[in-house]
Amino acid sequence: MVHLPQGSGGADGGEPHGDAVTLRLGPGEVARFGRGSTTVPVELRLADPAISRLAGEIRVTDDHWQLTNHSTTHSYLVENPEGAGEYLRVPPRRVGAPIPFEFSRVVLPTRGDVTISFQVFAPDHLYLDPEAMGVPWGTSTVTAYSLDETATYFLVLVALCEPRLRDQSRVAVPTTPQIVERLRGHVTCGTLTARAVSSHIDYLAEEKLRLGVADAHEPGKGDRRNGKREEIVGLALRFGLVREEHLALLPPLAGAGGRERPAAR
Amino acid sequence: MTPPHGHGDTAEHDRADLLPPGCQVGGWVVTELIGSGGWSSVYAARPADGPPGGTGEARTGRSSGPSDVALKIMPTAGLAPRQARRIVESARREVELGRRAGHPRLIGLRESFVLASPDRPSLEGAIVLVMERAAGSLRELVDTGVPEADRARLIAGICEGLSHLHRSGWVHADLKPENVLLGGDGSVKLSDFGLATELTGTHGYAPPMGTLDYLPPERWRAPLGELGVRVRPTADIWALGILIHEVFASGASPFPGATPMARGAAVQEYGEGRAPLRMDHAVPPFWRALIADCLAPTHAARAPHTAESLLARITAEQQTPGAGRLRGRARAAVLATALCGVAGATLYSDAVRASSPAQSGRTGATVGTVRVFNAERGCQDRVDRDRQCSLGLAIDPAQPYTAENVVPTRVWHGDVLTADCELPDGQPIIDEEDLRSTHWFRVHLPPGSTPPAAWLPAVRTRERPALPECPHPTAVR
Repeated sequence: MVHLPQGSGGADGGEPHGDAVTLRLGPGEVARFGRGSTTVPVELRLADPAISRLAGEIRVTDDHWQLTNHSTTHSYLVENPEGAGEYLRVPPRRVGAPIPFEFSRVVLPTRGDVTISFQVFAPDHLYLDPEAMGVPWGTSTVTAYSLDETATYFLVLVALCEPRLRDQSRVAVPTTPQIVERLRGHVTCGTLTARAVSSHIDYLAEEKLRLGVADAHEPGKGDRRNGKREEIVGLALRFGLVREEHLALLPPLAGAGGRERPAAR
Repeated sequence: MTPPHGHGDTAEHDRADLLPPGCQVGGWVVTELIGSGGWSSVYAARPADGPPGGTGEARTGRSSGPSDVALKIMPTAGLAPRQARRIVESARREVELGRRAGHPRLIGLRESFVLASPDRPSLEGAIVLVMERAAGSLRELVDTGVPEADRARLIAGICEGLSHLHRSGWVHADLKPENVLLGGDGSVKLSDFGLATELTGTHGYAPPMGTLDYLPPERWRAPLGELGVRVRPTADIWALGILIHEVFASGASPFPGATPMARGAAVQEYGEGRAPLRMDHAVPPFWRALIADCLAPTHAARAPHTAESLLARITAEQQTPGAGRLRGRARAAVLATALCGVAGATLYSDAVRASSPAQSGRTGATVGTVRVFNAERGCQDRVDRDRQCSLGLAIDPAQPYTAENVVPTRVWHGDVLTADCELPDGQPIIDEEDLRSTHWFRVHLPPGSTPPAAWLPAVRTRERPALPECPHPTAVR
């Protein structure tokens, strides 16, 4: 439920050459992070001399996670990469600070200019059904695959579904470059890279919708990818996760869009 | 535990699409709002041409007459086609199940129609399901505390309903106390088949929805496929385990946590073997074991525990102390008969059936009693002596067991009959559970009956009293 892809930033994981590390934790599970040693094993190694052997730990609770800061001197920052500067400061020795973000970047200070950071995702956040607002929800029937309609992945999903929602060709599911192009005019997501779009699509497929395909994971072939996109679009539309009104989230269609007719909405 | 809430408090929402009492919907007049959820509202209603004065009738007790119904209204106006399709789909499941798998333990669907309502645009095109009216739900009973004497009966009733659903190839997929309705007579009826799914092979596909507190561990990680999420009957068994625990632990889930999400996390921890199952101490040992089987952490471990096998265990458990008591009473009755030597002493030691049509006429030299057993589960806890649940007695066990070969006196499940001998080689009889026997018991009929005795197939009782062998049956005629 929380997983930590690591290494992609300045932080190096394993000693030889920081391979990315991804841990998948279920409720109640704990991952410790720090420089580690034979006496202090950690699940997530952060190789920087400024970081203590046991710097902190992450514990998954309910649908979110808690951060414990084992440092006696340093505060850690937890940033919401999608939150326009939203962040939390977890002071030294704080135990179990609850982290409310679905996407977080945990930033640890170092002696140099480059901070060390890793990411934590909490894909199990639940959202109420739009139709069920104002009804006591504790015992009501809810959609078990709920999406944050303000998240970037949702924007990517809407862009994926757009041609079908606009009643265009049944087969046309946009490619990654087409999505990058389509979102270019967006206020906050105009600078999404192809790589970011792909990882949002992967996140949707693997964490949010949990597509039930036994895909041969290693060779991520192009045609394979397209199958995944089509499936995401099919499911999102079939189960009403993306609806006509969501098209308003996309930047207005410019005539130069090229991909689709400038249909009036 | 979520704070208890009545359905009534949802009525306070200022919703334009709610109907006031007196409003006519199709052939029905709304008497009051029962509850309102995300996509539907449920109203009490009576036939439009029926006697007036039903307005404002309380839905508690048995004030609702047999002609009263519940209307489930699902508005579709103003929805995008894809959302409307979801509602149509849900209605279709209910109608389909109601049409194909009706059972006394499932709420009956009388009719369904699409509303044409020009004066209320918000209800134009709404789908209306007309259903049997219930007096309340198990949720209300759980919130106020289920009387101890009713618990086993209610749970057995739910098992009967589930067992019928599963046997008919359906999965309920949203079993919870809210969806277990109670008739005015306390009878149990499962309802809300909006997510119910017909199995194709070992599993079916349901829309990706559910109620968090009742989802089995595997559902939390279940992949979403083209057809929805995969559900199997064991998902209902899991929900049943939670529900039984709630009945015994005054509404508390066996999984700790203040919110459904927290309890869901606890379910996952348990499912992955990182936390034990901790049940409330109030749950008696028999039910504790039953719940533990329902809540086995994986589909495979849960699979052997079908609704049917659970029902058999509950029935057996009820009979162990109970049956001993009944046998004791039966023996006392026979003894009293023998001592007084009075003809006409009751043959029904089971005193609740005071108006029994069949009564003992004689005191034989050797008599035993047999308790009638009806393998039709839906009939086993009925006390209304419905003709459909009655069983026949043969005139001649050596002749084929046909309508002509049956005495007018009928018997029902639980009746205790006086038997004076046993015939080992009559016509073979096979019951609904495929039990086969050529044994027959000669039982006494009420005084004045002709013939004075008739024959009960041995498959119609679970008791095997030691009785002498009967003389040749033709002698009886």
